[in-house]
Amino acid sequence: MSELFSNLALGFSVAGTLNNLFFCFVGAMLGTLIGVLPGIGPLATLAMLLPITFQLPPEGALIMLAGIFYGAQYGGSTTSILINVPGESSSVVTALDGHAMAKQGRAGSALAIAAIGSFFAGCVATVLIAVAGPPLASIAQKFGAAEYFSLMVFGLVGAVVLASGSVIKAVSMIILGLLLGLVGLDVTSGQGRFTFGIPELSDGIGFVTVSLGLFGIAEIVTNLERASKHGRDEIAPVHSLMPTRQDMRESWPAILRGTFVGSLLGILPGGGAVLASFSAYTLEKKVAKDPSRFGKGAIEGVAGPESANNAAAQTSFIPMLTLGIPSNAVMALMIGAMMIQGITPGPQVMTKQPALFWGIVASMWIGNLMLVIINLPLVGMWIRLLRVPYEMLFPAIIVFCSIGIYSLNNSTTDVLFTAGFGLIGYLFVKLGFEAAPLLLGFVLGPLMEENLRRAMTISRGDPMTFIDRPISLGLLVASLALLAIVIAPSVRRTREAAFQEEG
Amino acid sequence: MFVNKNALLGHPMNAMLGGWRHPDPVPDALMELPMFCRFVVAAMLAAGLLAGDACAQANYPTKPVRMIVSFAVGGPTDLVARVVAAKLSESLGQQFVVENRPGAGGNIGADMVSKAAPDGYTLLMATVSTHATNPLLYKKIPYDPVTGFTPIGQVGITPIVLVVHPSLPVTDVKGLIELIKNNPGKYSYGSSGLGSILQLCGEHFRALAGGIDYVHVPYRGSAPMMNDLVAGQIPIAFDGTPSAMPQIEAKAIRVLATGTQTRARQLPDVPTLAELGFPSFDCYTWNAIFAPPKTPEPIVKKLNEAIQKLVDDPPTFKRLQELGIDPTPKQTPAMLEALVKAELAKWAPVAKATGVQLD
Repeated sequence: MSELFSNLALGFSVAGTLNNLFFCFVGAMLGTLIGVLPGIGPLATLAMLLPITFQLPPEGALIMLAGIFYGAQYGGSTTSILINVPGESSSVVTALDGHAMAKQGRAGSALAIAAIGSFFAGCVATVLIAVAGPPLASIAQKFGAAEYFSLMVFGLVGAVVLASGSVIKAVSMIILGLLLGLVGLDVTSGQGRFTFGIPELSDGIGFVTVSLGLFGIAEIVTNLERASKHGRDEIAPVHSLMPTRQDMRESWPAILRGTFVGSLLGILPGGGAVLASFSAYTLEKKVAKDPSRFGKGAIEGVAGPESANNAAAQTSFIPMLTLGIPSNAVMALMIGAMMIQGITPGPQVMTKQPALFWGIVASMWIGNLMLVIINLPLVGMWIRLLRVPYEMLFPAIIVFCSIGIYSLNNSTTDVLFTAGFGLIGYLFVKLGFEAAPLLLGFVLGPLMEENLRRAMTISRGDPMTFIDRPISLGLLVASLALLAIVIAPSVRRTREAAFQEEG
Repeated sequence: MFVNKNALLGHPMNAMLGGWRHPDPVPDALMELPMFCRFVVAAMLAAGLLAGDACAQANYPTKPVRMIVSFAVGGPTDLVARVVAAKLSESLGQQFVVENRPGAGGNIGADMVSKAAPDGYTLLMATVSTHATNPLLYKKIPYDPVTGFTPIGQVGITPIVLVVHPSLPVTDVKGLIELIKNNPGKYSYGSSGLGSILQLCGEHFRALAGGIDYVHVPYRGSAPMMNDLVAGQIPIAFDGTPSAMPQIEAKAIRVLATGTQTRARQLPDVPTLAELGFPSFDCYTWNAIFAPPKTPEPIVKKLNEAIQKLVDDPPTFKRLQELGIDPTPKQTPAMLEALVKAELAKWAPVAKATGVQLD
């Protein structure tokens, strides 16, 4: 224990220097900004800044790059809540209840809870890295292809819960999502699926392309239609910038659960912030006494996912820092930045470069504190966005979305696809289909298929591998239990209440 | 400010600003042209013609140069390109901007450069995939790796090593082959994807070791594969030194052999497969710069000299080494052309034997 404190003291002495505080602030600030801009993600930003870091000391460079990544998780919720356009892929579900809250005049509460939840989750996850980084990483390593497959099955069963309308519609959206996820070259056979000879489709459709189209663009189209018929949507006047006592009471258990779910999924390679936020939302809806409130401005639907995505962003550093294996593209870039600095990433970083390791850990806590201090006063400024006239707001959003989408692959095809998904999303709104289950199917489907086939290849075609491995078996049993709860007649009434068609 | 001038040079934003400040490069360029050229250009402008080729070449580069990386941001090729671009910007006095055009295993970006104007302002950071293995494995390839480009110069190579999980009861290649032979079909090896160079190494090894029966497990990239190797989910893998070295040093995996003809710089005590009785085994990845076909000779020469100079610059040399690249000095365009042809010839039979055909 005393070793931990001396390590942390070392970390704070590194992160607390004026230079490193400055880098941390620059990172957090930049992260917030790119988080707010829809489509523009931390990855492209990190890549652009990489050459600048050549000249910086390694601690400063990594502290700044890390700050951009977790800072983006703070900013991402802003546009989700205010204009129903997700700023980051991990903030897609935040829009469901966050924007509903904004319409009721509770934008201030939603934004503040998102920041507070993120801060709490960030602190907890930082402590996790410090106290239990290496053991957590080795637990994550127990997750092989079989375990992943079973986890995805569990997620897919849970996906049905996401819907607030009819079950049939939810299931068909999940299946549509699965199909969209299949687009591209099959990992195991090299066959193209649904690529129609378009080379840009051979790597599949991007998550941002689908989510920005279905949520962002479709939202703008429907708003324009409504505005031309009935004038602008009534948005209730904002009564308070800060959450009420009741908001806090409803939120804190959700923040705790979201932090837990996010911390777990963040450690898993390939898990990440998107899955974490979806899972946290599903969990909140499942444990809520009255699930019908979801989609209509339930604050737990903001607190849970926003805590989860920040916790996951933070814990995804664990495999990178303790094993030297990146769990996502951003971490791969961080490893590159380390290597350019002459530091071999890997298990020895902790022992050979204690100042760097503990400096980064300490900077995360400082960065989270800075972020909450930056973001809470910004709430007052952001909510003025709600009063910006449509004729200025919408073209601006479309421009930023297009720039963001284009910057992902420097491809105009992606921009056109986003526009296409915008139209499809508009149709979905008209027909009363919800996009969230589709997105979950889209994320889970390819992962599930890939891991199913990988597990079967490794086991030489023996399906018992899913049952022989305890974690996998546990997840499958849990999926069955969840399925039973959904189907069982005794709970059917509550489920029907949960899935009642709106209006 | 915390950034010095050199650092800013490599920054794409700066390049964009530069580009905006000089929307038309001709007037500025005019002042620096040799006297004769200035006269010709002036005459041509007066005649309503575009500036002559020869003069544009003498002054190259007069505007930002795009360096296309046909792989994702943050990947190994992207990192190499960013180090190289930062240095080229400095030595040639114009921004070299890295632009990622990922997709179709690198073919989209490569095809784009192959069809770009041959003016030296669009370059490709090519790899063994774009110029050797993809043309052999894809059913349809939109460019020709030899005639579709003007070779500029090789940047460096990265050795590939044969590694196993420490729980595997073998310490050398002979033992590994015996183990697989005694347990046909029981062991699997990982690669970064179907048709990847790592799979080709694995299949080449299979053939040279007498058709051993081990199963290929493709991943999406080298990182998830290494994760499963360290965790013991798969026992065997071929991987590049950048991602393998940290795990070898931490004893999380065991290295049995190096795939290149000479021993790897980082692993002087580890034998090569060539030393161990597979003299033809030569497996590595490489990075090289190509321009579109018919790029004028003066531009090629200027770029090639700049790339050769990269290796003489200690910080750049060191940065490339840290990324796991062994910079190859004194590389001429002719040597690069020969390399591409040799690589295509080397991998053709292996690629055919895998039966892999990518859509």
